[in-house]
Amino acid sequence: MKMKFHWRLLQGGETANMTRAAGWNRRETGMPDLERQVEFCRRAEECGMTGLLTDIGAAKPDPILLAAALGLATEKIELIVAYRSGLIPPTTFVQQLNTLSALIQGRFSLNIVAGHSPLEQRYYGDFLSHDERYPRTEEFLAICHAFWRNNDPVNFQGKYYQIENGRLNTVFVSKSRTSPEIFIGGGSEAARTLAISQGSCWMRLADTPANLEPDAKTVLAAGKEVGVRVCVICRPTRAAAVRAAYELVAGLDPALRDAEHERDFMRKSDSVSIRQVYEMAEGEWPASWLWTGAVRTHGGAAIAVVGNPEEVASAFIEYKRAGVTQFILAGWPKLDEMIIFGRDVLPLIRQEERALDEVRGASSHDD
Amino acid sequence: MSQAERSTGGGAPPLRPLRFHWSMSSAGSELKGAKARAAQNGIPDLAAHVAYCEAAEWCGIESLLTAFGFHRPDPIALAAALGVLTSKVKFMVAVRSGVISPTSFVQQVNTVSALTQGRICLNVVGGHTPKEQRAYGDFLSHDERYARTDEFLSICRALWAEEEPVSFKGAYYEIEDAVVKTPFVSNERRAPEIFLGGASDAALNLAVRHADCLWTLPRCPEEIAPRLQPVLESGTEVGLLLSIIARPSREEAVSDAYALLDRVGGKARQVHEEFSTRSDSVAFTGTLALAEKNGGDWLTPWLWTGAVPYLGAPAIALVGSYDEVAGAIRAFEEVGVSQFLFMGWPDLEEMKRFAGEVRPRLESSASRRIADNSRAPILK
Repeated sequence: MKMKFHWRLLQGGETANMTRAAGWNRRETGMPDLERQVEFCRRAEECGMTGLLTDIGAAKPDPILLAAALGLATEKIELIVAYRSGLIPPTTFVQQLNTLSALIQGRFSLNIVAGHSPLEQRYYGDFLSHDERYPRTEEFLAICHAFWRNNDPVNFQGKYYQIENGRLNTVFVSKSRTSPEIFIGGGSEAARTLAISQGSCWMRLADTPANLEPDAKTVLAAGKEVGVRVCVICRPTRAAAVRAAYELVAGLDPALRDAEHERDFMRKSDSVSIRQVYEMAEGEWPASWLWTGAVRTHGGAAIAVVGNPEEVASAFIEYKRAGVTQFILAGWPKLDEMIIFGRDVLPLIRQEERALDEVRGASSHDD
Repeated sequence: MSQAERSTGGGAPPLRPLRFHWSMSSAGSELKGAKARAAQNGIPDLAAHVAYCEAAEWCGIESLLTAFGFHRPDPIALAAALGVLTSKVKFMVAVRSGVISPTSFVQQVNTVSALTQGRICLNVVGGHTPKEQRAYGDFLSHDERYARTDEFLSICRALWAEEEPVSFKGAYYEIEDAVVKTPFVSNERRAPEIFLGGASDAALNLAVRHADCLWTLPRCPEEIAPRLQPVLESGTEVGLLLSIIARPSREEAVSDAYALLDRVGGKARQVHEEFSTRSDSVAFTGTLALAEKNGGDWLTPWLWTGAVPYLGAPAIALVGSYDEVAGAIRAFEEVGVSQFLFMGWPDLEEMKRFAGEVRPRLESSASRRIADNSRAPILK
């Protein structure tokens, strides 16, 4: 399986070193910024990215509709639409996605998360606990798949949803698929189980390849892919990369109290992986190239691969050896780091990947 | 906003300029409504839709209705796409409660407003077919759907007020401390204009409570006047959802009206008889029953129900010469109707005739009314 690289979409008014807390409080975060975002999409295409993650959250524009606008202005890039169950019934969700597919020739995938903040779920009328959100998401996706099979009217009677004779005349439109690719986000066992039953790929926050491998194996054995969300800080030398990493945290305005806000966010969250990564950040370098120093100010997704281009490239090859084939990446600033990655790192990864695949091909031939 | 705040202070309802909207749902398909809904193609033809929007802009149509139904593309996603590809026309997005959480809905509407500089308004409907509602997981009765829509709109409007986090605990929705950070973006308004369709008492009451304008189906002006009076007095506008067949002469219009029936054929009639047995909409079934009783004829010399059994309730049509159709619109204006949402068979040709021939005949009376009226239109 050839590795696929995605990047996080630039948000409205995003600045180079913006933390989660700072983003929440900025009015621009809620505004689509089509001109800059379309430009970002085009640069992502040039950098060899497959997709761009359009976040979901009460602080941000609706990702399905933003994806429609961006998809109409671009040719190739896929939008990874993040969504949570509990906001919209599955029939409406499929109708919106199928409409999106018809508008942009199916150029999107889904990043389904169960929701990480019980407080924010309540904005939308969702009062379920962490553990109940997973079975509900399971039902939600089972109904979506039933619509995408597009055979008989959909009937479903579950604990959370009841659907009677559902049908939609707007079908999923794509040259290559009959339904969207589905990433399931989350580090808990419930998320992994859901990825196996309803998803295409289990997408989790980063850890060392060795720590990821045992869980990855069970997902791969079920015929699904494994993906990692991680940031990249790549500079010509390791020393420069490490310096850039430390400056990221040192450069924060103390008055914004980002660490305090992030600690507060983590405490209110019921996400297993956000907690795990926060704990992991105790030791700053879980591997010589994996840095957790920004987690406590920038959030769980800020765990970063740090090094020179060769070191960063071989880090991704290590992930591939552990079974990870998809990556949703980001950096600071998002655009600059994406350009560095596309120019300096991706060619090295592809080269090493070819060599690895040849070795693997030969060894599987021997079996 | 309370009724007291919305009222303009007693006396006669304020005079308002006439506003005209058109249906979008037919783009690329001339005889929409003649086919069973399950047999209709749900894949949007983007190029045809954009051409249609541009024609509507050229014709001075204010907004285009993107309808909701299992057989159609999602109206809000379609509006987002068409909105970024056009520059002037607004999109009247249909929504039913029960198919989306109010918070998600506001977030989506606000996102479209930000993408299109506020070119979105809403057509709220209670839902007309219980069977279709169940496909979305909604098992409520007709009257309960209105009660839920009331809660739905209360939450939406509280979020648009953007004053503080919204908490709500009702029979159908519970929301805690909700904020939506994407604001409603528009130079003119703080929230989208809300149109609400229906003919039942429940619909009228709901329109008075939450809507800027009630959409209803036409009858003779003197017949609807008493029923609309309380709505108008509350400060809510009244609009009509109807078809239009305007020609240089009455003979041509009538002849084209009957020719339409020949084109759609008897199969279409069967489709709407079947639909009627499944629907619990007072507006739709009432109009179908009226058309049957009426024997496919004329409620007034210019209000024709002949196509209703074939093409559905909104096929009730103004038929006549350009002068007669303009006169009919004035007759409705006299009883307080200020907005019209038209359909044509086919739409584009009819829209161009309306813009070129009927609209200019209304300008003189409209300018007179605006001159008489010192008050600005009410904006919520």
